[in-house]
Amino acid sequence: MKRRNFLKAILATSFTIASTASVLTPLSALAKVGAKNRDDWLTTGSHFGAFRMKRKNGVIDQVKPFELDKYPTDMINGIKGLVYNPSRIRYPMVRLDFLLKGHKSDTRQRGDFRFVRVTWDQALTLFKQSLDEIQTNYGPSGLHAGQTGWRATGQLHSCTSHMQRAVGMHGNFVKKIGDYSTGAGQTILPYVLGSTEVYAQGTSWPLILDNANTIILWANDPYKNLQVGWNAETHESFKYLAQLKEKIKQGKIRVISIDPVATKTQNYLGCEKIYVNPQTDVALMLAIAYELYSNNLHDKEFIKAYSLGFDRFVPYLTGAEDGIAKDVLWAEKITGVPSDVIKALAKTMVSGRTQLLMGWCIQRQQHGEQPYWMAAVLATMIGQIGLPGGGISYGHHYSSIGVPSSGAAAPGAFPRNLDEGQAPLFNNEDFKGASSTIPVARWVDAILEPGKVIDANGAKVTYPDIKMMVFSGNNPWSHHQDRNRMKQAFHKLECVVSIDINWTATCRFSDIVLPACTTMERNDIDIYGSYANRGVLAMQKMVEPLYDSLSDYEIFTRFAKILGKEKEYTRGMSEFDWLKKLYNDCKADNDGKFVMPEFEQFWQDGYVHFGDGEPWTRHADFREDPEINPLGTPSGMIEIHSRKIERYQYDDCKGHPIWMEKKERSHGGPGSDKHPIWMQSCHPNKRLHSQMCESQEYRQTYAIQNREPVYLNPEDAKHRGIKNGDVVRVFNDRGQLLAGAVVSNNFPKGVIRIEEGAWYGPVGNDGSVNGGTEIGALCSYGDPNTLTLDIGSSKLAQACSAYTCLVDYEKFTGKLPAVSSFNGPLEIGV
Amino acid sequence: MKYFKDLWQTLNKPAKYLTLGSISLTAFIMGIIFWGGFNTALEATNTEEFCISCHSMESKPYQELQATVHWSNNSGVRATCPDCHVPHSWGRKIARKMEASSDVWGWLFQTVNTSEKFEDKRLEMASREWARFERDDSLACKNCHNYNSMKWETMSKLAQKQMKSAAERDQSCVDCHKGIAHTLPEMGTARAPQLIAEVGTGPSSFTNEQPYFSALTKPLYFSPTGDVQAGTLNVATKVTVLASEGDRVKVAIDGWRKKVGLGRVIYFDFGINMLTAQLSKEAAKTDGIINGFEEKEDTMTGLKWQRVETELWTDAEYLITEQKPLWDYARTTFRTSCSVCHTQPDEAHFDANTWPGMFQGMIAFVNMDDDTQALVQKYLQQHSSTFVKEAH
Repeated sequence: MKRRNFLKAILATSFTIASTASVLTPLSALAKVGAKNRDDWLTTGSHFGAFRMKRKNGVIDQVKPFELDKYPTDMINGIKGLVYNPSRIRYPMVRLDFLLKGHKSDTRQRGDFRFVRVTWDQALTLFKQSLDEIQTNYGPSGLHAGQTGWRATGQLHSCTSHMQRAVGMHGNFVKKIGDYSTGAGQTILPYVLGSTEVYAQGTSWPLILDNANTIILWANDPYKNLQVGWNAETHESFKYLAQLKEKIKQGKIRVISIDPVATKTQNYLGCEKIYVNPQTDVALMLAIAYELYSNNLHDKEFIKAYSLGFDRFVPYLTGAEDGIAKDVLWAEKITGVPSDVIKALAKTMVSGRTQLLMGWCIQRQQHGEQPYWMAAVLATMIGQIGLPGGGISYGHHYSSIGVPSSGAAAPGAFPRNLDEGQAPLFNNEDFKGASSTIPVARWVDAILEPGKVIDANGAKVTYPDIKMMVFSGNNPWSHHQDRNRMKQAFHKLECVVSIDINWTATCRFSDIVLPACTTMERNDIDIYGSYANRGVLAMQKMVEPLYDSLSDYEIFTRFAKILGKEKEYTRGMSEFDWLKKLYNDCKADNDGKFVMPEFEQFWQDGYVHFGDGEPWTRHADFREDPEINPLGTPSGMIEIHSRKIERYQYDDCKGHPIWMEKKERSHGGPGSDKHPIWMQSCHPNKRLHSQMCESQEYRQTYAIQNREPVYLNPEDAKHRGIKNGDVVRVFNDRGQLLAGAVVSNNFPKGVIRIEEGAWYGPVGNDGSVNGGTEIGALCSYGDPNTLTLDIGSSKLAQACSAYTCLVDYEKFTGKLPAVSSFNGPLEIGV
Repeated sequence: MKYFKDLWQTLNKPAKYLTLGSISLTAFIMGIIFWGGFNTALEATNTEEFCISCHSMESKPYQELQATVHWSNNSGVRATCPDCHVPHSWGRKIARKMEASSDVWGWLFQTVNTSEKFEDKRLEMASREWARFERDDSLACKNCHNYNSMKWETMSKLAQKQMKSAAERDQSCVDCHKGIAHTLPEMGTARAPQLIAEVGTGPSSFTNEQPYFSALTKPLYFSPTGDVQAGTLNVATKVTVLASEGDRVKVAIDGWRKKVGLGRVIYFDFGINMLTAQLSKEAAKTDGIINGFEEKEDTMTGLKWQRVETELWTDAEYLITEQKPLWDYARTTFRTSCSVCHTQPDEAHFDANTWPGMFQGMIAFVNMDDDTQALVQKYLQQHSSTFVKEAH
């Protein structure tokens, strides 16, 4: 060996040692804001979890789960595709006819997907001029900018806050109340259990696992739905589901899943299952209640001490009131559950500790208030509300509810509202006698029938005459029901503006489309775990905004500048000033309780960890002392019968829960002779609603012939000559779609599943993209809301009823049109 | 100067007499000697003597340790400082030593050299240790304590249950056993500091027969001096001051109660679930504490209500002269906190008896201490459709 080489080797070795040692150097020595090497592993988070990412040649290359995430979701494989995909909105764009004629444009062309590229200045000026025109001609009731949805995570760039603050600086607008996920539940439960329940923290999993003898999963698929969360999801619930699986195996806990289909959770846990006909859950619950009551198995002491109105309910239950005993034989006919199974189930529920865990889907149907109310009555009769491992929960499948909270304060967010003392340019609060707030799922009704007065939650709502809508990070052309009805409504709108990252169907039906960048293209901060509140997460910019896209902060700072309100909007602060402020405010809130390092150190580390929380039992305080800790109901007690609701005198939501037939129902119910199949449009397994559908490579892991899967019962499919992999046309009188057949024993006769969030891609009879404007156009990809029913759940909640939907299907034999959902618009040069 | 120049030249000159091999060998041997020295020095910093050579370590944590079972016990095994605070594996030990360099800094700049300074920093220091224990699943504990060697049958029922469930999850020990070797830090008692900064703590002297408003949820007492609590006065509640004595005032509270249980809860008005005061069982049972007047049935619930008055004592602090600053603070808090995820509903969108249900159902998402929560809920009720008639 040459001397030179030998020395070189020594040198190299010592460098290696030296650089290893530098890993051990206190990080604070290296910390410097923004000085993170952009090619190191950076930290970020999303609804799908937190992760570390690495760049290569200026492009996001590797994504791995955050080290605290022990149960990362498979959807991590779709993350890169959210950033890099052919559906990205590259430039600000304006619908061709809108660019030519403005508010006098031919709105029937909306959806023809012909757009013209413009500059940011042109787009934002046009946006402002449209708002001017609406506020001048119609006032605030002409503008609906209150329809908001799931956005992308991040407390600073949360897009709906930016849009509403900026548009709010221009003028007032119509807003929504409630949401599409829990509309009926969050309205009925305050009357019954004194809180929305659906978004409340629930009894901690460790206590449930230690104390429950039986867990009832009622229409609940937590193993599927816990993959995503409102903030960066920690996936800690999966640890407990794994423990539950183990306990089932050891015979320590019984889990009974009541569901028409075999869920992902059932298949994971290997638990017991009871099939029930779709939409008949209330009848089953009533029969269980009847069984408990007639065998004197109900907890009379608990009912007396903690509830009101049982005596008003019993005559209905026994049939003294209407001549129909709600017994097991009555229920068997409706529900398809054998009477001996119902009897055994009732007995099980009162043997030992029973925890009811309700899913959300059974309240996303007509009369969706009833199953939630009736389940609360059942839990009251069992008498274990407020005990660990007993009682009822309506949220254990959502954002890790049931994981003990750390108790720390979480970072706040960029303000949605105007600051104190600020006023909009059009400072007009005259809604011309119309309501300024409408139930979330009724806005299409309002566009179609302005001035109509409806009942809602004890009040009267007068529909405003909506002429313009603004959407930001929100895709109602995915989550609202009945596409063809929406198309008709959109003909009546003068202007629609969408701000998004990718060309959703909502963008397709808009006039002005503005490109926001993804979370990977900006710096932000998030809560790690919405309910667990496990820590604070840095969201570090990986790459510069792609194409012409901008961060939401930048978009609306520019917009505010056009309003002459830039400083009011930003408070004179930069993106990093805001990040530091949000962090430091949070640090101050936690002062003396949780230690948080200086911002620079936090940014370097990527997160602050608050540690675990203490197990906790929901309603334990109420059970312990109902006088001092009353529920939020009018009486402070559980209201089995509500005089308040009774006084509304609604025919579809009475003083206590009852069984009501649905407008359409499968398995012998109304309309099943014409369209015999019930379509379930549940939350997707490989998306968050419509987010990630555009992630192209990932979509290929489940798409069938490029279409959304439709899950079919083998017998039904065979009867129609359909086999796995075929393209199927699903239809009813409201619309038609194409989907790819997956034949599976998980689905019973008369039931199909198409997961919501599949991107709407209408095509004309000739298969053309611009033929998508036609009423009744075929959806080429498989959006189930092409077929769903757009009615309110009842006069109480007026929530969406997506689960009340009958269809039929056949093998598609025509010329297969290309999928038109993705790849963006037809760019027209002018 | 010449010496340095010579030395430089010597060092700089290529080896003339020594072979490359002998230089390498020498370097290798020197390496061993240095390594040994380094390790010896490192080990020296791993002794209890070294740890308590600082006054602040000796006077606080070390003294506290001596009162615990980790210092003296039946079996005569003692845990010394490094047993718990220095990891045993080399990599982690070095990392820990690097971290600990901040202790030297603290010693140099006397960060915790007095009892007061130490107490101020106690939570921060403890939190750092807890975080470290949590990171490595309390490995330091588990070097001696092993879930597998635990004798369950000698434990109490409760201990068995807790420990078995911890063992199943291989839970980190300090999750439950914080403060086992040193005093637990004060976890913070200042209530709603931002609220108080905004509305103040109230006047130092009071005018009798004048109304005042509670700025926090306050304790009520039977007498001007005794410490027996008669209940609590809810935040933002109007009371009339009747007399002052020492640092307490006697206040008159009126409202309505439901005739359920002992009737311990006083509400703002008939049929309206807006909390005014909650009395203890003892107070509710004592004759003459609550004066009852007319009764009415609330047809909305079928419950009987009764108008009541009571006179009790409370601390003079946190009684303020105006209600408006409380509502201003509550309004800002509501509009900021409740618009993080969605547009906050208008105050008058719900009635006074619906707001608690809506508000309590969302509270898990919001950062509010108990006082602020109670205040915002009352603000919403007071500005609900029950009191503000607006079309919505």
